[in-house]
Amino acid sequence: MTAKGKKGFARAKELYQDRSQRAKELKAEGKKVMGYFCLYPVLELFTAFDIVPYRILGDMGEPITKADSCLPTIVCPFIRSALDLGLKGKYDFFDGVVMCHSCEVGEKAAHIWRIYMDPSYYHFLDTPHTVHEPAQQQFKGQLEDFQKTLEALTGKKLSAGKLKDAVDICNQQRVLVRELYDLRKSDPPLISGTEIIEVMVALMSIPVNEGNALLKQIIDEARGRTDGPQKKPHRLLLWGTVIDNTALVEMIENAGANVVMDDTCVGSRAYFPMVEPTENPLDGLSRRYLVDIKCPRTFREAVYGDPKKHYIKDLEHRFGYLKDYAREWNADGVILQSVRYCDIHGYDTPGLSDYLNHIGLPNIYIEHDYSEGALAPLRTRVQGFLELIG
Amino acid sequence: MSEEKKKKAMNRLKTMYPLRANIDQAYERSVEATKAGKPTAWSMVNWWEADPILKAMDIEIVYPENYGAVCAAIGSAQKYLDRSDAEGFPTHMCGYARNCIGYTAEMTELGHIPSDAPMGGMSNPILLLSSGALCDARIKWFQSLGRYLDAPVWTVELPHPGVEESQMPGVREKSIQFMVKELRELVAFLERLTGRKMDWAKLEEITDDLIEINRIWYEINEFRKVRPCPMHSRDFWSCMNASLYPAGDPKVSLKLYRDMYDEVKDRVANKIGAVENEKYRMVFGELPPWHALKIFDELAERGWNFVVESWAYHAPKPIDYAKISDPLERVATQTYQWLTGYFPDALKEKEYMGYFAYPYLEWARTYQCDGALFHPLLTCRTATNHLILAQDRLLNKLHVPSLIAEGDIVDLKLFDYADTMRKAVVLEEMMDHYKKVRQEEGFEW
Ligand code: SF4
Ligand code: SF4
Repeated sequence: MTAKGKKGFARAKELYQDRSQRAKELKAEGKKVMGYFCLYPVLELFTAFDIVPYRILGDMGEPITKADSCLPTIVCPFIRSALDLGLKGKYDFFDGVVMCHSCEVGEKAAHIWRIYMDPSYYHFLDTPHTVHEPAQQQFKGQLEDFQKTLEALTGKKLSAGKLKDAVDICNQQRVLVRELYDLRKSDPPLISGTEIIEVMVALMSIPVNEGNALLKQIIDEARGRTDGPQKKPHRLLLWGTVIDNTALVEMIENAGANVVMDDTCVGSRAYFPMVEPTENPLDGLSRRYLVDIKCPRTFREAVYGDPKKHYIKDLEHRFGYLKDYAREWNADGVILQSVRYCDIHGYDTPGLSDYLNHIGLPNIYIEHDYSEGALAPLRTRVQGFLELIG
Repeated sequence: MSEEKKKKAMNRLKTMYPLRANIDQAYERSVEATKAGKPTAWSMVNWWEADPILKAMDIEIVYPENYGAVCAAIGSAQKYLDRSDAEGFPTHMCGYARNCIGYTAEMTELGHIPSDAPMGGMSNPILLLSSGALCDARIKWFQSLGRYLDAPVWTVELPHPGVEESQMPGVREKSIQFMVKELRELVAFLERLTGRKMDWAKLEEITDDLIEINRIWYEINEFRKVRPCPMHSRDFWSCMNASLYPAGDPKVSLKLYRDMYDEVKDRVANKIGAVENEKYRMVFGELPPWHALKIFDELAERGWNFVVESWAYHAPKPIDYAKISDPLERVATQTYQWLTGYFPDALKEKEYMGYFAYPYLEWARTYQCDGALFHPLLTCRTATNHLILAQDRLLNKLHVPSLIAEGDIVDLKLFDYADTMRKAVVLEEMMDHYKKVRQEEGFEW
């Protein structure tokens, strides 16, 4: 069967296992493929220019050998892995790269990427750290500059109409991802946490419209399937740093729980926020990407400029959506996971744990070094946690 | 005998002592003032962006980063680190942050400053002022203190454009205006928080003093390009605090920096070096091992003169601020200049990490350095993640070899003195070798 012949889950798995396959085909057909890092390089802009967006991810199964020559070992192993793949030529099919100020190490790695890989097109988006009105305006200005560089690259002027169409296509994808996630609400869920990772990674490797078609197939298939996940004693919500590999979720699901919901950036964090239609689409886009994506890299406060501070109100503001997730997906526990050396998630974990305790949701924090081989010791901790919650 | 020899090998600036004393006294005065009930803000070092505003509103400023260094230096950090771990914070986080979190948890539990807190401790703040400058810890750390303190957190934005992106039309203006808007919001917020009005004339005065301090400090460091270099890194570190933030009375600091300028100028005129028989002109990368500073004396005996150090602690390249009438815009412009001042030159050389890494390249060239000693701080990603790049650029573009000697900001035991000295001897051979290579290739030094 040819690559294109597969459908639904099988196609997602195929793309998960060989991510670049479709992008390379499209490149051979004359399309530009653009690598992007983290969630902030606006997908709608790539889509409006008919550029294939391809998210730069790492590989938990591949030892890091080359990145150590340009980034020390005390930084995020996910970023080191992504850089390592780049240095090994695995992203050589890109026509350009768009990086951003995701976190501090992400920002430095962006500049290092440019120096060592010298892509023919490169743009860096300096995502602000707060969500205040001036920050949104600043981000909008950055998107205008980003658009200009894409116009120069493609030789095409972008009309507001084209950008609005791209917003629609991307919003459709977000609606479809929600539909897919809704299939995890039943008990047992119709789609496993492991499969979700495969689908999300696949979506991040192909054009948005192809992703939409794939999602429709998967949703249909899942609705009618009889070989779905088994009922298990526990339903978990998984929070934390990027998970682009099935190994961690597989380990959790093998330990006796279904991962029914997530808040990671290869999951709901990337897809749940919608873009509000605005006269100038860049207004809606800057708001969606800067304000509505709830990543701990961004500072947000319960009431802007309030001289009084209230801890629980602050936590509610920052993490309240997780309460909704837990209720809607009927999760009975939360796993907070982080790669080692991730500061932005690391600082949040005790506060998030406070919040989950406050709303009565059992939780555990686990840390790993983004390597398939090193997950075994975590299995015991996860099992212990599942026993604890009964 | 060897003590005498050490003293002779490094020739410290006389004007450094009163400046250093002024910085120390400022800290002590600050502790007294906050104990006496003066409103205190805990602040992340923010490179002049917000501190002048606090100072103009007569809010005392305490720097928990510095407090981390103090606790580490006198061996009191461990219990606070342990406490931070026990509170559930990951152990890989910034040592200064963990020290502060542990300290704060203890203070909150006791309801007062721990009686054994080093240097009088840090008193309960009315505000936590975090900064978007350089690292995530500067934002996330204060946010996480919400578990213990009732003080609100305010985050000051600082744009970090890419080198090439910073040169796009309008980016500089937009970035500075963005900072100004945020600072205006901060002023309004502080007025609500304290019930006081901003003293704009005072802000103007402080800002002007700080700009002038940094201009003089920059000029002092320019003198270090001369052979022999008249001022050693040790004097730099002893004095940098008064230029980085308004420690104490800026007017007093200004006078002391002027005195230092005169002394360094005089040394240049009389060809007096900071090290006798300067043989190797060195770059120092990141903060020094505070507890093992004698290594610089030992290296001075071997003719090593440290002539320039990490970018983050240096003054911005001076520009003309005279036409900027709004003090907030001056503050923003100075901070933005500090961050991006090297970018146009970096871009010419296709160096895309315009701060942290590129300045080493420019300085190694203009200060005619033979080698670099990098001291990465293992729990500080900011101080570490550019060093391999810097090392690579120095060697491959300028034939300047370097040595990496690991250490930490709080766990001082991590620095291996003997091993560093062994490696230093090997580096000397490399420096001799690469000096020949540079000469063969027509470099100026
Ligand atoms: S996991 Fe953390 S450190 Fe790594 S890229 Fe994401 S936010 Fe940055
Ligand atoms: S990580 Fe480094 S720069 Fe950031 S607060 Fe800690 S010591 Fe300072």
